[in-house]
Amino acid sequence: MRTAVVASSIAAGVRVAAGIENLPGVDVFIVVCNVGMRPALLRWARELFLALRSFEWRTLTTKVWSYARSGKLIILRRPLNDSASTERLRSLRCDVGLHAANVIYREPTISAFKLGILNAHIGILPKYRGRSVVEWSVLQGDPIGVTVFFIDSGIDTGRRIVLREFIPSDRWNDARALKNMLFGCDARLYRKALEGLMRPGVQFENNDISKGRRYYVVSKIFTQIVDEILSVGANRGHANRSQNGAFGNLSTKVEIDFGQRKSMLREQTRGNDGTYLHGNSDIPCLHR
Amino acid sequence: MDSETAHSKSVLPDRRNGILRGALLQRRSEVRKSWKHLISADCLEHLGPIAPEVEAFLSGPDAARGWPLLDHFTWLCSDADFWGCLQAFALARKIECRPGYTAPAPLSLGSLKRLASADGFKLLCVRYCCPVNIAAPSELEIAEELLRQLMVTDRAKIEAGGAFDVAGVLLRLNLVGIRALVARDLRSLDALNYFYELPHRSLVRMRANSRLLAFWLCIYTQLLSKPDWLKCGQL
Repeated sequence: MRTAVVASSIAAGVRVAAGIENLPGVDVFIVVCNVGMRPALLRWARELFLALRSFEWRTLTTKVWSYARSGKLIILRRPLNDSASTERLRSLRCDVGLHAANVIYREPTISAFKLGILNAHIGILPKYRGRSVVEWSVLQGDPIGVTVFFIDSGIDTGRRIVLREFIPSDRWNDARALKNMLFGCDARLYRKALEGLMRPGVQFENNDISKGRRYYVVSKIFTQIVDEILSVGANRGHANRSQNGAFGNLSTKVEIDFGQRKSMLREQTRGNDGTYLHGNSDIPCLHR
Repeated sequence: MDSETAHSKSVLPDRRNGILRGALLQRRSEVRKSWKHLISADCLEHLGPIAPEVEAFLSGPDAARGWPLLDHFTWLCSDADFWGCLQAFALARKIECRPGYTAPAPLSLGSLKRLASADGFKLLCVRYCCPVNIAAPSELEIAEELLRQLMVTDRAKIEAGGAFDVAGVLLRLNLVGIRALVARDLRSLDALNYFYELPHRSLVRMRANSRLLAFWLCIYTQLLSKPDWLKCGQL
């Protein structure tokens, strides 16, 4: 499976790529986009700063050299959604893109990948779309977790959920640390998602947006409230509720034949038959 | 159900609600002390005869009309005009509303987005002549769009320090606040929190429309005094 990490910096791209590059059958590219169209000097100064901050600059340098030498490190000069960038992405003939950049994708960029672009969203879909979903989940006493799904051009509205993992938040005393931990799960979950996608007869759960809401950035007062809830452990009941399958039961079944580089989408609706497990913190919600 | 699970389900929502309520009441007391930094003497003067009532409302004890959760109302009509209704709502006075049998034709999101700000303002004032209707189930899409405009478009403009449509932003804040009050939507309440927390230099620009500014603050204080936000059944 040809996979491209779409990253906002080389360091971010290498970090995610390192998590999946030894997966059998996966060929990894790193596409670095110039978020905010920074001038060249600023862009490279930022890259250098991020590399040094990683404290693993030797490994990073080795990996960057290795990707660059094999033509698998692509530095985009134009904005990601520019037609020249889209054309460059198309030329890679990738099956899947992995979102690791702070950008909004337009339809032509998404369709440059055969299956689409995966996003590791730090909230449970379909209930929690948008921003600050960790804070909103804590506030409303819902479980915390990450959902890996194929994006579309809307805000967390892509219909195909590949996997969802509930992650205990008990040990975290403030929202910022909790979010950083969840953001750091992306490489591991992308790996799990790719493993799932390569299995025959993979099934996706439908991201039924009517079962959720779009959330927005939280105010300072709500952030303080969330921190207090976390620090006194008033969120600790969620682990019990997460096993009740309180989310959508519709699913979309997709069959993919990577050998022929084509995908066939077959949709079917599932009833409330408990086919998908939502509560187990270690089991992705793929087919059973 | 083991004892720990039972404990989580019964006690933790109360604890979360207690933390939330405590913080909101603290904010209410902060607003009580500091609202004059926002609504200046000039603004009060512009409010005309309602100025003393606004002053008493913001400085005095909490007063909020207990709106029931209106899940099944279709549309409400009032003989008062938009400004009369909004004023009554903001100051927690009784509003004479009677049920309308049908809602007006749905307003398409596309047409709302296409309208220039002044036309959009007029359209919203006419449609929500009785502003409680923003919480009607048929208006969910519009209410969501107003919330999105506040938290995405308006927020970005204001935070970038650029020019923004003061009347439009304040009208949206009023309508979103009314929706929070009637439909008990936490996201809508937090939009008002967010705007209240904007830097003072941004907030003082809203003095350009003192009436909507005063009504917004009055609605916000009602929201802060509302108990049991987390018991109202979020989605």
